[in-house]
Amino acid sequence: MRAVNVLSYSFSAIKLRKFRSALTILGVAIGITAIVALLSVTQGLQATITDDLNQGLSANSLIVMPGSSGQGGDSGFSIGIGSSSDSSGFSLYNNYTSQIVSLSPNITGAVAVMQKFGYVESDSLNRSVTIYGVDYATYAEIYGTFVAESGTIPLNPKNDTVIIGSRVSDPRQNGTRFIVPGDEINLLWLNATSFPTVNENCTVQVSGVLDTVGGFGMGGPSDTGVYIPLSSAESFFGTDACDMIIVTLTNTDKATIDSVSSLIREHFENQVLVISADAVQSVVASIISTIELFLGGIAAISLLVAGVSIMNIMIVSLIERTREIGILKALGMKSRTVLLIFLGEAVIIGLIGSIIGIIGGWVLAHGVSWVLSSGLLTGNSGGFAIKPLLTPTVVFVALIFGIGVTVVFALYPAWSASKLKPVDALRHE
Amino acid sequence: MTAIIEAVDLRKTYMMGKVPVEALRGVSFRVNAGDFIAILGPSGSGKSTLLNLIGALDKPTSGVMRIDGVNVSKLNDARLSVLRLKIGFVFQSFNLIPRLSAKANVELAMSIADMDASRCSRRAVKLLTIVGLKERMGHKPAELSGGQQQRVAIARALANNPKFLLLDEPTGNVDSKTANEIMALIYKLNKENGVSIIMVTHDQKLAGLAKRTINMFDGKIQSDVVN
Repeated sequence: MRAVNVLSYSFSAIKLRKFRSALTILGVAIGITAIVALLSVTQGLQATITDDLNQGLSANSLIVMPGSSGQGGDSGFSIGIGSSSDSSGFSLYNNYTSQIVSLSPNITGAVAVMQKFGYVESDSLNRSVTIYGVDYATYAEIYGTFVAESGTIPLNPKNDTVIIGSRVSDPRQNGTRFIVPGDEINLLWLNATSFPTVNENCTVQVSGVLDTVGGFGMGGPSDTGVYIPLSSAESFFGTDACDMIIVTLTNTDKATIDSVSSLIREHFENQVLVISADAVQSVVASIISTIELFLGGIAAISLLVAGVSIMNIMIVSLIERTREIGILKALGMKSRTVLLIFLGEAVIIGLIGSIIGIIGGWVLAHGVSWVLSSGLLTGNSGGFAIKPLLTPTVVFVALIFGIGVTVVFALYPAWSASKLKPVDALRHE
Repeated sequence: MTAIIEAVDLRKTYMMGKVPVEALRGVSFRVNAGDFIAILGPSGSGKSTLLNLIGALDKPTSGVMRIDGVNVSKLNDARLSVLRLKIGFVFQSFNLIPRLSAKANVELAMSIADMDASRCSRRAVKLLTIVGLKERMGHKPAELSGGQQQRVAIARALANNPKFLLLDEPTGNVDSKTANEIMALIYKLNKENGVSIIMVTHDQKLAGLAKRTINMFDGKIQSDVVN
């Protein structure tokens, strides 16, 4: 029997049981919807994060933080914000920058960054921020995004000068500014080094508001950051230990990054972590692919459920059609053709279900991203925009999965159908 | 004359639960091209078992069944399917596919034999015209009377130019007027179109049309007479 006749015969069987077929197709479609939505959201997330990292972490810089790097691996790290020393008691100090610069001719500069979680209080706004202590001039040299959108960034700031990120000024990112240059704000932070812990605060004057940076300020400028001069930070926080030193390099070659990283680690006797943009990105990528695998696995389970129901339906259909199979075989149809007719039904159901699922998944992914970016879930601070990515790979994977699962689960019923003996099948009522 | 069917000492034993039942106990006969044979016998005499063997739907427990010169016992599943294409089987309960129209039912038999669609269509129309169903070929089996369904089944059986037509109680499920029409059609197919016919029947009148009558009893041939 020709392929086109096999398929049209399969299709006529599907049409006969419209409601049952529709439910089966729905089962496949739900599974594929879940897979497509999850994959396109996580792929969109990865693209967004990679993009943000590229802005927050310049490719020609390294971040040096206190911390043991264990076996000296250069991709494993932990980020301990707010602790200026690791458990071993090692600390990086602000004046280590000159030692670092002298380590290699490939190092063009180093800047110390102190940071603490804290709060901003003003007449109209209370919000959590990260307080950074940096030297404005050197910091601006490293990060091109440390520029004022309004106000100025003074080269020789006063002790109570502060530069704020765009989301501190305009939390909803809609043009309504709560804090503008010239305003006085109150900064609060928790002093965790004393016991019991105490809240400390000081009043500072906003000198400038940064351009919107986007991204995660991995050492680099952040939209939710508040920047005070390094000397002020030393006196406010009561220490001259810094949280990280950012080192700039002459170039972005992997060889340069690796050699400088190991020089710095050796210099501090392996008590520091050296993080490069590259390493961060590969770690983030691996985290996301783990998330993707986990969520994809959950979605795949729903598809398996659909597969089991397909098998169930095919077995029922097989029993109902035993006589028909007997007729077909008595007319001279080969067992292989009977098998193909049943598999053909599965392929058609899988294909229709997958196509509906891909469209449904795409719609769902956009719905999810709309909810995320509207800030409905994250309160008033504005959302996190993910643009779902429906790549050809996702479409391909969805089709293969949708059709594959239906075919695999149809194999056994189809095989049993093909093995029926015509005499027995014809006797079946 | 060449034999289209040659049966030598056919035996068939079924297991009914744990009890072996001998349905055929040594049946031998020959059918030549152009024959018109009626097989008669009470129920349980082995008629249906014999019919299944002639139709290559089943294999004998022992003995030799040759259809068109081929020993059925030696065929694998796929070759058995090819052999069935040469046999026109008309079932007692018609066995049409309910969701397909009369024409599509006839076409299906030809598409199983890999005939191309336009030839299938032309031949289906021709065959349905021969059996007198030209006007109703778009109807589904449920929309046809028993006699009409029987004719569709006959048209379908003739679709692939079979070596012979095998009919199981062709007038068993229809009224007497229709039975007469079916009998006339079968007679005409044999007489005018030269189709070899083997039929199982209870109907003495129908059996009277045949050139040869085989009487079965208790799994054996009791008599085999040329009328």
